[in-house]
Amino acid sequence: MTIEQCYALMGSDYTDVLNRLRSERLVQKFVLKFLDDKSYELLCTSMETGNNEDAFRAAHTIKGMCQNLGLTVLMRSSSELTESLRNGPTPESGPLFEQVKADYAMTAEAIKAYKDSLEA
Amino acid sequence: MKKEKILIADDSEMNRSILADMLSDSYEIIEAEDGVQAVSILKNSVADLSLLLLDIVMPRMDGFGVLEAMNQNGWIEDLPVIIISAETSSSHVERAYELGATDFIARPFDAIIVQRRVVNSLLLYAKQKRLISLVEDQVYEKERQSDLMIDILSHIMEFRNGESGLHILHVRNLTDLLLSCLVKKTDKYKLTMADISLISTASALHDVGKMAIDEKILNKPGKLTDEEFEIMKTHSAIGANMISDLPVHQQEQLVKTAYEICRWHHERWDGRGYPDGLKGDEIPISAQVVSLADVYDALTSERVYKPPFSHEEAVDMITHGKCGVFNPLLLECLSENVEKFLATLSSDPIDELKRSKIRSISEEMLKNEGGGVSKRTLRLLDRERMRNNFYASMTESVQFEYGINPSMITFSGWGAKKLGVEEIIMNPSQDPKLNDILGEGAWPKLERAVRATTPEHPEMRLDLPLKTGDAVRWYRLVTRSLWTDDAPPKFDGVIGTAMDIHDSHSKMQELEKKAARDPLTGLLNRASAREKIEFKMLDHPQSRFALAIIDLDDFKKANDIYGHMFGDEVLKFVAKNLRESIRESDVSGRFGGEEFLMFLEYKTDIEKTVDRIRRSVCGVIENYTVSVTVGVALSDKVGLDYEKLLHAADAALYAGKRGGKAQYRFYDDSMKNLLESDTQDI
Repeated sequence: MTIEQCYALMGSDYTDVLNRLRSERLVQKFVLKFLDDKSYELLCTSMETGNNEDAFRAAHTIKGMCQNLGLTVLMRSSSELTESLRNGPTPESGPLFEQVKADYAMTAEAIKAYKDSLEA
Repeated sequence: MKKEKILIADDSEMNRSILADMLSDSYEIIEAEDGVQAVSILKNSVADLSLLLLDIVMPRMDGFGVLEAMNQNGWIEDLPVIIISAETSSSHVERAYELGATDFIARPFDAIIVQRRVVNSLLLYAKQKRLISLVEDQVYEKERQSDLMIDILSHIMEFRNGESGLHILHVRNLTDLLLSCLVKKTDKYKLTMADISLISTASALHDVGKMAIDEKILNKPGKLTDEEFEIMKTHSAIGANMISDLPVHQQEQLVKTAYEICRWHHERWDGRGYPDGLKGDEIPISAQVVSLADVYDALTSERVYKPPFSHEEAVDMITHGKCGVFNPLLLECLSENVEKFLATLSSDPIDELKRSKIRSISEEMLKNEGGGVSKRTLRLLDRERMRNNFYASMTESVQFEYGINPSMITFSGWGAKKLGVEEIIMNPSQDPKLNDILGEGAWPKLERAVRATTPEHPEMRLDLPLKTGDAVRWYRLVTRSLWTDDAPPKFDGVIGTAMDIHDSHSKMQELEKKAARDPLTGLLNRASAREKIEFKMLDHPQSRFALAIIDLDDFKKANDIYGHMFGDEVLKFVAKNLRESIRESDVSGRFGGEEFLMFLEYKTDIEKTVDRIRRSVCGVIENYTVSVTVGVALSDKVGLDYEKLLHAADAALYAGKRGGKAQYRFYDDSMKNLLESDTQDI
């Protein structure tokens, strides 16, 4: 699998991110690193325990990473979740969190597939 | 060469390493994962750092907290801060600027933009620091040299005249004191701090004419004969001639003042002095003051022919007319400042002198006279330049400064390279290369536009094609005019940037060409208007926009009473008025039915603009009065989102209709639910 195919799988625009980061090596490096980031775990636990401050920050961080990596789909849902948590949780936060979960799973799966294809 | 150090404070490890990767070739990177860590690094090594890249949302202490700490500790003056955040709402931007941030980089990061911004910020700070130290060096050097010359001259003259070693320095100091006191009593002599400093400096030359007097007379221990006294008296006229015979510098204020002092420091208030017998204020104030200072110091110093008198004795002798007749105001100054005079004479006069001189020079510079530059001015300039830089958005821009005296334009290094010109160009309006780039007729157009700026509205914007190399590309020129602090302010030059807007300009023209128009009014139709608006917002994410829906009041009536043909005339009438009352860069469209739309970029006072447009759209056509209601939504409030803007403008329009029509309304949160309940009605 090429990195470009991986982006297509994630519903994201590879050309855009390449234009910004200027090198395929960098895109590859950071996309693979994305899976190591702990923000998603923090988001899940703090959503469960109702720690809104941490949840907001975690969502915000995910959004920022997605922006930088051009992961459009997850960026959209995490951005909406961030806004819904900004001034304390709102009724939309729950459904939006579910959406983030789904988008994250999809994104992570694509990246994992790409990673496996590199190692194969 | 040692790499400059950049501190990156961001809680996301990935964001830090993306930035680090972009910058690590040219800079040494230090990382902090939250605000607390950032502040502790700053505490230990702020002097070693060249730049801070700062995230806003962080655990423990956020970016604003870091900026506040930097303000409290005074670090903000020395270290430029670029905010790297997805938080680009204008309140965040504003707050960060207020706290001293110099620039913003929005996510997602673009390698070239990040590198460029970093270089720009570092260059600007380096330039500012260099300029400040240059100015300080110049002042110091100027002061040091003139002090040195005066010390040497004084020493030579005193040696020859047999006066106490400090006479000339005392006279300078007393002159300064008397004048400072005098300006508090009266403004009739119109003396500025700079004048006072000038007269005090020139006072050093008051006895220069004694150089030409025979030493035997000068240093005679006993009383002079009448004949000898007549010779002695010539020293004032001789000194004045020495000055006026100088082959150069005759226009210098210092030289003119020195002439006055030399010639007339032995005149008397009652007109019985020499050489010209001037009376009262015929005697220049400079000579009056030096004359008094001279007499006072002569009395209080030891001379070959007399012991020193005390301050009280001296003042008593002077005020009782035993040593000449003086301006009563000056005598008041003399008797009122006993302590100061004593302190002056007993303290180290050179030190005292330097202090007073530094004070007057710095005051002069703060007044920004004669091209002096203060730290504050530099900072303001810099801040403004950075603001422009920021608003120049994501494009690469050419920065420049233009001054009228001398007529000179200075480009930033990168800008000069981009345009293929020298960094400094004298008489730019006559420069063939610059004129070639600007094209014919552009210079007068620029001059007109800049001349139209005022201290209240100093900014100017102009789109124009520039020829660089063989290609012609469109640039947007944004300038800010500068004025002096005089009253009235004098135009002093401009600072500005030119951004390459060629791509968006071409895209815009392309859109313009393709845009589908409403056949009746010639305005854009709904779909094209939307496309153009969305493109504009995308192209200028940092700008402020207003979207307005303009709806004809009681249009149904016009149709019913006068018929559809007339109704069409009304629509055409409104469309024409609308098109004529907005700028070329604004967007106008017909939304179908009797609804129109306009979309404006604005800086301040959008309300006035909307009011003006609303009025000019209305009018009377064949006895029918056209009236409209306008609903406006601002991107500041609603966001850069077409749907949301439209929805909010619609709500505002609805509020306006309900409020009695023929008015404008701006969307606010109170209208939030207005449409949910009764959208169907309109």
